[in-house]
Amino acid sequence: MKTIVLFFSLLVLGSTVAFAQKSMDAFEVQVDGLGCPFCAYGLEKKFKEFKGIKDVKIDIETGDFSFQYPAEKSLSLAAVVQQVEKAGYTPMKTVISRANGLVETDAPLAAVDQGVAGVVSEKMFVAGNCEMCEARILKATSRLQGVAQAAWNSKTKILDISFDANVLDRQSISKAIAAAGHDTKDHKASGETYDGLPMCCKYERVENK
Amino acid sequence: MKYCIKYLFTLGIIGCFSAGLFAQGPPITADKPIMLGGGSFTAKTLIEHRKTAIGTFKYTPLMLHYLISSNALVAVHIPRVSYELADGTSGQSLADVKILAKYQFLRIDGTGKTFRMVAKTLQTLPTGEALGVMELSSGLYQGYYGFVAGYESLKYGISFELGLNNIPEGDLDFLQHKLGFGLPLLKPQYPNRQINLFFEYTQQWLWEQKGYQLLYAQGIQYARKNITFDLAYQLPLVNDMPQNMTFNRSLFLGTRFTF
Repeated sequence: MKTIVLFFSLLVLGSTVAFAQKSMDAFEVQVDGLGCPFCAYGLEKKFKEFKGIKDVKIDIETGDFSFQYPAEKSLSLAAVVQQVEKAGYTPMKTVISRANGLVETDAPLAAVDQGVAGVVSEKMFVAGNCEMCEARILKATSRLQGVAQAAWNSKTKILDISFDANVLDRQSISKAIAAAGHDTKDHKASGETYDGLPMCCKYERVENK
Repeated sequence: MKYCIKYLFTLGIIGCFSAGLFAQGPPITADKPIMLGGGSFTAKTLIEHRKTAIGTFKYTPLMLHYLISSNALVAVHIPRVSYELADGTSGQSLADVKILAKYQFLRIDGTGKTFRMVAKTLQTLPTGEALGVMELSSGLYQGYYGFVAGYESLKYGISFELGLNNIPEGDLDFLQHKLGFGLPLLKPQYPNRQINLFFEYTQQWLWEQKGYQLLYAQGIQYARKNITFDLAYQLPLVNDMPQNMTFNRSLFLGTRFTF
């Protein structure tokens, strides 16, 4: 009898936890202007005004700010953006993964979906070292109109990018990344831009064709 | 003494140009343009033990800063001063109360970096004794008007301030310029844990008194989460001031807590 009671108790507890986890919306915001750890503190403090906020994480090197918030409160994207601005920083891109599976974003990336006519996926070598490099490379691609998705791996140095071939081409992407300071096989960053990179981002220069 | 000055100056210059790979905390004797979110308070103190040609002073301010919004700040500084003058007089009293206001009018943000500028005014009320030390206790009304600019990135940080201090009574108006550099010793991390070195320069021109001084402050700061502990030593590099206004040295000890 004891075993049965224990079994059902665990079952109820487990399903409660699972339900609780599912009832949280996940927020990811790319924030510019976090020049120091104190800035991150200011940002977190401002968001603590949202009662019930959980799992606050801030990566000051990349500006990635994420947290969870109870789904029943339906915290809007506009409210999140406004709160970042009230904290004194600049919100660049916000993605909300709702507990019901819906995804909301203000990023232009989501405007073009995979599978839509004209969208192609390519792989491209992009030189770089660290998370800061990753943030810079992805920021450069996100500014391009027509990019659907982009991901860069710091180990393989490969950028996986999906874009609308009707409005963008590989050369333009490569040029934009080089302008941000990262060599590709086709385009080399200018010496001045490369020199301006933080020490941790000083990758080995690529010899272009 | 000359060697000491040369050493500190060189250290400062090296600090400026090797200027860290990491970000840093708020400066100690200089000011900053970054504001940590609207609706928050910062309580702080920066105890100064100053030795001048006319005596020694221990200045203990209690400072309360309030951020009205992400770009506007008001603050009140209520200080006490104890003194021992060269003529044997000693005592302690309320020093000049100060009201500070700052407004951020420019903000340019990037990933892991920011450039900001604020307009600043500091109104000094004549609540203190006339001890003849302008920044501590003068017993004179003073109005300071200037701007602060700052660039902070994960590579280096600089703060710059320029302003005019007007004293309606007398001929003690001065132009002030501050320049500060921070050199963090630990990798940036959040939650916050930092040890920072500061190299800060203060220049003052008293054109009516034909006086000029350049001060150098070497500081160290420990910061954890929302609290900092500051220690700095300031000494003159150039001290071309009227006899009774000559600055010898200052030791600063402070803390600040944001809530």
